[in-house]
Amino acid sequence: MVSLAKVLTISKELLTPADILIIISAVFLSTWLYYFFWFDNNQQGKADTLLVQYAESLPQEYPLNQDQIINIQGHIGPSLIEIKQGKARFIHSSCRNQFCVFHSWLSVSGDTTACLPNRISISLKGTSSQYDAIAGRQ
Amino acid sequence: MKLHLTTTHQDHRIALLAALAISIHIIESAFPSPLPGIKPGLANVITLFTFIMYGWRAALQVSLLRVIISSLVLGTFLSPTFLLSLSGALLSLCSLIFFQFLFHLLHMKPPSAIGYAVIAAISHMSGQFFIAWYFFIPHPGLFKLLPIFITFAVLLGIVSGIITQLIIKTIKSDTNQ
Repeated sequence: MVSLAKVLTISKELLTPADILIIISAVFLSTWLYYFFWFDNNQQGKADTLLVQYAESLPQEYPLNQDQIINIQGHIGPSLIEIKQGKARFIHSSCRNQFCVFHSWLSVSGDTTACLPNRISISLKGTSSQYDAIAGRQ
Repeated sequence: MKLHLTTTHQDHRIALLAALAISIHIIESAFPSPLPGIKPGLANVITLFTFIMYGWRAALQVSLLRVIISSLVLGTFLSPTFLLSLSGALLSLCSLIFFQFLFHLLHMKPPSAIGYAVIAAISHMSGQFFIAWYFFIPHPGLFKLLPIFITFAVLLGIVSGIITQLIIKTIKSDTNQ
């Protein structure tokens, strides 16, 4: 068996400056990726449209600059979706787990949440975003 | 008529290393992974070992043989899995060659297996990730997973680098005796 101490001594003997450079830049790279994709909302597109989709039907579009509450009939009951100050959320759903309600506000283009029991999904789309929020490439 | 094929010592060595890599790849694919897309990548240890000991040509042969033959055995040949595996293997080898050349240009002592393993793991992961994003799931939300994947790649890369380093050290001390 190779003990941990032996591994450490071998690593210490054989780590070259290049190794240390690589490991440090790898750590920096992954930290930066967390920041870039999780916390920096500016680089992601501003959303201006809410897409609401029930089952396999075409998504319906709602503008985000008009505050309103949308009542949509789902597979097992109604769902209430609120649009307020450019953000959107589920405020009520007929499902048991209420994951969609706990997901809270969607604010950035590409944000998506879904109520699977009720077969309703909502996502935000921005005109500045170069990708469709839902459509897939065939 | 009898077909006669002359093989060199190098051919035997590549066949042996490829066989090892294929077996590791197949055994590894039998274990379920906690998160889809994250694997220890132990077959990469063999590619890395070949790259350091015998150069990039041998490593390219070993890794292509591994990807093609193990996909034939697992039944994923020319499937999306195969495409992901191939792109990861090729990109990781390309970046290994690139970094070896870069450190040569900078007149620095080349990295040990640990540095190379981290490079290989990160580029393998990002190669697969971009192919997966471009061809299969072109949704911008997929990028929220990239940091997690890269973190695991760095950690598992260090582990496989230490394993490779131990193998190289053992083999070198055996041949010196």
